[in-house]
Amino acid sequence: MSTLLVWREQLQIFYAKYSIFIRIGLQFALGFLVFHQINSNIGFMKAASSTACTAGLAAACAILPMIVMVMAATALVLLHFYTLSLPVAIVAALLFLLMYIFYFRFSTGKSWLVLLMACSLAMDVPFVLPIAVGLLGTPACAIPVACGTFSYYLIHLVKGSSSTFKAGDGVELVETLISFTKQSLMNQEMWIMVAAAAICILFVYSIRIRSVDHAWKIASAAGAVMAVVIAAAGNITLNLHISLTPLVVSGIIGVLAGLLLEVVFLSVDYARTEYLEFEDDEYHYYVKAVPKIGVTAPQKSVKHINERQNTGNVGNKKNWVDNSTQTPASAGTGYLDRPKSADEILLERSLSKELGLDGKGKK
Amino acid sequence: MLDVKRIRLMARMAQYEKNDIRNDMKISTYYKKDYVSLNTLITVLWMTVGYGILAALFAVCYMDEILENLTISKITFLGGAAVAGYVAMLIVYVIGAGIFYRGRHNRAKQRVKKYYRDLSRLGKMEVKEKKKV
Repeated sequence: MSTLLVWREQLQIFYAKYSIFIRIGLQFALGFLVFHQINSNIGFMKAASSTACTAGLAAACAILPMIVMVMAATALVLLHFYTLSLPVAIVAALLFLLMYIFYFRFSTGKSWLVLLMACSLAMDVPFVLPIAVGLLGTPACAIPVACGTFSYYLIHLVKGSSSTFKAGDGVELVETLISFTKQSLMNQEMWIMVAAAAICILFVYSIRIRSVDHAWKIASAAGAVMAVVIAAAGNITLNLHISLTPLVVSGIIGVLAGLLLEVVFLSVDYARTEYLEFEDDEYHYYVKAVPKIGVTAPQKSVKHINERQNTGNVGNKKNWVDNSTQTPASAGTGYLDRPKSADEILLERSLSKELGLDGKGKK
Repeated sequence: MLDVKRIRLMARMAQYEKNDIRNDMKISTYYKKDYVSLNTLITVLWMTVGYGILAALFAVCYMDEILENLTISKITFLGGAAVAGYVAMLIVYVIGAGIFYRGRHNRAKQRVKKYYRDLSRLGKMEVKEKKKV
């Protein structure tokens, strides 16, 4: 456990140092995954489904806001749909427009959840993200997750019945339009998975905010069970063909992810919980205080024994200073001689940039 | 000598200037009532478009059932249901949008106010430092 906490501290320091590069790297990885999934599943337009195009799009989206990646993915999907059949592209465009009108107009900040959810469904781990979102997010996150599930099943449907939707003319176009609309909106498996994911998020969130001991662990486990039960019940009731093994496996992975997230984002010591009781003029307070487990990342220090250092010539005489007698630059300040937290590193970086102390300041 | 308080203040302000200030300034130029009304109106327009699309898609889905035994009373019933659905959705969205945009305006105003307060504090600190020198 303590090793994990030390890793967490080191990870925090590492992220604070290289946050820009890490963000770009992660964004590129997500972009590549998303565009690769789209191109490998519905790559009807050969030019757009090449690896160069995938990598190029991912690279471009890596340095732009996340909403651009969502829009690029939407455009790519529509392009492939258009190559297959015009009615399919029209219906899909209308469905994407509906998502924009009813949710993304208000909140673009969580748009990346749509992409992540679609990718997790494509990788057969549908309940890992809802559990993680329930632990770290808000109930409103259920909407982008539902949109992601919807988008995945739209692509899945076209992939599965591409020959049926191939462009025809006249009456065939209308038939394709009706058939695709019906199949995309009346897909029972999709609605079951949307319900399972949304309820899982709400359930995990509602348990996580309780003040019971080990709330995060209980929330992850209960959320996973709930999601699997809903999916299985829907599967049996509606006589669908959802394979149960990936659902159970993803539930287990979700619980493990929940445990990991607890270590990274919460890490409290329930054994040392204190209950306080006090009052003021208006209220009587019952307070439960759970102490955080804090560890400092060990700093590597190399001790040089009997090593002398040249500090320059003074009046043709070499000035040697013993390392062991040197006073650290920060001695006495009581500020720099302790391990820095991520906040301090971030603050220092922003300050040195702002004040132009890093040598390449903007002013 | 570096003044930690002043540096912290400047860092906070710089961070705000980098991220939210443009949007917040734009919002705070409106009176709250104007901002909320304008955005609620835009939301209603978008919602109408969305509802139209949704209704059209469902009509396409159930085209066979709708066209089967089509009578005046059936058309009236379907039209009434569509209008009732629209009104219900409109009420929900108008209330929701009102709350959402009022909150957004309040938050933006508070941030801008805090920024100006920080700015005047920084000015005072500089004046004080100049006097010392």
